Amino acid sequence: MHFKNFDRTLFFATLAILFIGLLTLYSASREYRSQDIIFRQVFWMIFGIAVLFVILRVDYQRIVSLSYVLYGITLLFLVMVLFSGRARGGAHRWISLGFFNLQPSELAKITLILALSSYASVRRSDVTKISFFCKAFLLAIPAFLLILIEPDLGTALLLVPVTLAMLYIAGVNIMHILGAILLGLASFPVFWHFLKGYQRQRLFVFINPNIDPLGSGYTIIQSKIAVGSGGLFGKGWLAGTQNQLNFLPERHTDFIFSVVGEEWGFIGALLLILLYALIVYRGIKIIETTPDTCGKLIATGLVTLFTLQVLINIGMTIGFLPVVGLTLPLISYGGSSLITTLLCIGLLLNIGMRRPLF
Amino acid sequence: MRIKVFAFITLFFFGILIFGLFYTQAVKYEYYKGLSERNRIRVIPLEAPRGKIYDRSGRLLVSNRIAFDVEVIFQEIKDENKTADLLSEILAVDRRGLEKKIDAARKQPFAPVKIAEDIEKEKAIRVEEISLDLPGVIVTTRPLRNYLYKNSLSHVTGYLGKISESELAKYKVYGYRMRDFVGKDGIERAFNDYLRGVDGGLQVEVDSRGRQLDILAIKEARQGRNLYLTIDIELQEFCHELLKEKTGAIVVMDPSTGAILALVSQPDFDPNAFVSPQRSKEVLRLLNDSGSFPMVNRAISGTYPPGSVFKIAVFTAALNTGKFNDAKTFSCAGSYRVGNRVFHCWKEDGHGAQNIRNGIKNSCNVFFYQLGLFLGVDEISKYAFKMGLGRPTGIDLPGEVSGLVPTPSWKRKKLRQSWFKGETANYAIGQGYLLVTPLQIVRFLAVVANGGNLLEPYVVDRIEDIKSRRAGAEDTGIRHEVLDVLKAGLGDAINAAGGTGYYARSKEVIIAGKTGTAQNPHGDSHAWFAGFAPLDDPRICVVVFIEQGGKGGLAPARSAKKIIEETKRLELL
Repeated sequence: MHFKNFDRTLFFATLAILFIGLLTLYSASREYRSQDIIFRQVFWMIFGIAVLFVILRVDYQRIVSLSYVLYGITLLFLVMVLFSGRARGGAHRWISLGFFNLQPSELAKITLILALSSYASVRRSDVTKISFFCKAFLLAIPAFLLILIEPDLGTALLLVPVTLAMLYIAGVNIMHILGAILLGLASFPVFWHFLKGYQRQRLFVFINPNIDPLGSGYTIIQSKIAVGSGGLFGKGWLAGTQNQLNFLPERHTDFIFSVVGEEWGFIGALLLILLYALIVYRGIKIIETTPDTCGKLIATGLVTLFTLQVLINIGMTIGFLPVVGLTLPLISYGGSSLITTLLCIGLLLNIGMRRPLF
Repeated sequence: MRIKVFAFITLFFFGILIFGLFYTQAVKYEYYKGLSERNRIRVIPLEAPRGKIYDRSGRLLVSNRIAFDVEVIFQEIKDENKTADLLSEILAVDRRGLEKKIDAARKQPFAPVKIAEDIEKEKAIRVEEISLDLPGVIVTTRPLRNYLYKNSLSHVTGYLGKISESELAKYKVYGYRMRDFVGKDGIERAFNDYLRGVDGGLQVEVDSRGRQLDILAIKEARQGRNLYLTIDIELQEFCHELLKEKTGAIVVMDPSTGAILALVSQPDFDPNAFVSPQRSKEVLRLLNDSGSFPMVNRAISGTYPPGSVFKIAVFTAALNTGKFNDAKTFSCAGSYRVGNRVFHCWKEDGHGAQNIRNGIKNSCNVFFYQLGLFLGVDEISKYAFKMGLGRPTGIDLPGEVSGLVPTPSWKRKKLRQSWFKGETANYAIGQGYLLVTPLQIVRFLAVVANGGNLLEPYVVDRIEDIKSRRAGAEDTGIRHEVLDVLKAGLGDAINAAGGTGYYARSKEVIIAGKTGTAQNPHGDSHAWFAGFAPLDDPRICVVVFIEQGGKGGLAPARSAKKIIEETKRLELL
């Protein structure tokens, strides 16, 4: 173990966010049986940190060697979930493992990053060729499509920039990336055709929440009110009226940031965002200092994924982005999200620790 | 290099996020703060109960009760199936219909949607009891008008209905709101402004379900003013019972004041139906029933020829003008020829020679043909009008009509024809163009009973907290000597041997009155009886009118007797 290279800053920033998360969750869940929720979250947190340390002990290269197998298993899970998954809100996203409801799409984010990194590092010499670029995309497409038809639009779309960022760092031709982006935008009308009714509705509501103030626009309106009314200093912990009076739906999961914004104000929210930025910054440092291409790419994927989740989640609570159903890493209630995020951070720390010393 | 670009892009987005947050929380703070305050502070209107209505001795007639409604907030429902199962069992309604209503609530998942209205108290309690197991289901309450005597008082109380668009436009300035209930007929309409209270409001802190957490300010709703009627509810119910299954009207009035003691019109309706959404079909049937017109108050809005009751007006005109007197007689041979038309008396072999007192006692048509022709149409019309026919009585109920007192000039204007002599003969026995309402007839008789005063009838004795003065009676200028002879004749009609109204003869009290049988071109004759009692000091005036009731001397006379005896039992006499 090379604990000398263990990124303490990154780790403590993570713990700090987890702590803020617990406080916020307690406030957000007082309407429900809050103790139960806190208890479970703490349990998952401990489990997640344990996973983090287990990951640290394994050389990430060994994980990478299994990346295609892991990715294959994930795809299998994604197929399974379509047929036997537990439906919630019209979407098949979960597989019940008895004690735990597994969300294969969470798993897919990591295993796709691993598989892509593995592919790109092995075929490093071809990196500027168009064939390299296309094959990399072909690798990502099964996961993308399977998640899209669950349907979990948010997660599926998340995979696109993650893939692009990794390929960018891998050194592909910049024109290929721009071409892919243009192609994506051009195919939007076709894509629109396949969107489910509620997804289109969400996009309309994003443009103008007031078209459906008591339906799908309600959440976004209430969330903006919550964040905005927090002001600079917030209404105080447990004193957010929007939160405590139950105006905020999904406030302990996807919309938990609005509770932070309302009760802790701009100062508190800024602190939280800076902590996230700190993790991202340390992550970039790891990308920079890792000489091994594969490790670099995994780190890039993880950092991009983490950044996007934070940006999109907070962006949607303040109405800057459409509601896509992404959790806020390390804070939202829920085992799948929490454990996956901690696993990612473990992997990132792992890469940082195992860089050779010059 | 690429890593630097990547780092720059990543951190740049964080910068945008912080800027967005600053914009929302600092720049737009005041805006969102206002919204959040309004979000949790809600003004809940407190519907003011309408004023109650009491009868003359303070018995409650119309009040308000609490109605329980069931509402669902879709978002809060955990298990749609279980909710539909339990609710359909408790409410005893079709599960599929309920499911549909719950499903419809999906459109407004955060707003309470009504799924059942005005359920029984026991059911409401049961729903409340299981509401812990059924999140998203709430029971709400509101005051609902309650007509304790249902059908028997329907045409006096009237009914309520949702304010119409035109009414709203007119009364908006007085604080009426959409979906307000307003009086549509009867006292509810005429006294709507008094009965209606002042709505209050509750400024409360609520949660997203609208559940009240804390009251910040209260403006109490003020109940509308209570009304005290002149109606005696026991007498009213008695009259209602008498007229059951018939079509017609009964009015009982105090001839010295004009106070209405009972006013019944048949067919009737249950005013409760109009505030109960489950009974909307019944309401529709009532409103559209063009066969029996149950919504029409026949006592004030129905016009009919009065038949022989009108002979009282001709009698009065003859004596009061001095053109005729007690000593003069007309002879009846069973029929009378005017021009080329022969008019018959109801008694084929004739009454022989009669003075005016016997003429009215016998209700002799031939006598009154001659008397009418002797007086002339204008004199008859003048007295008919003087005694309150052909114009509204001014009763404090809406929808009153004038009826019609014909004159030759009216006929020329309206029908472009001149008046025939034969019409005068017919007119004198209350047939032809003449049209009256039962209420006009009771007031008409009260003129005789009270010594010549034309009163303004009323049903509302007083309004709580408001002092009002009643319009004085109109002096008809009819001399007492004339009325004394008339009273004697009307007494004879009931109590003397051979009187036409002997079915109204009572052992308990001396009744005076006049029967009437009005020919009806559409079917059987209409039957009238109008009378008062006691003869020497009249305290009660009654009119009984039965559409297509045959002879006035039969059923109406009998009913009138029963009513007067009942007023005696009730110590109103």
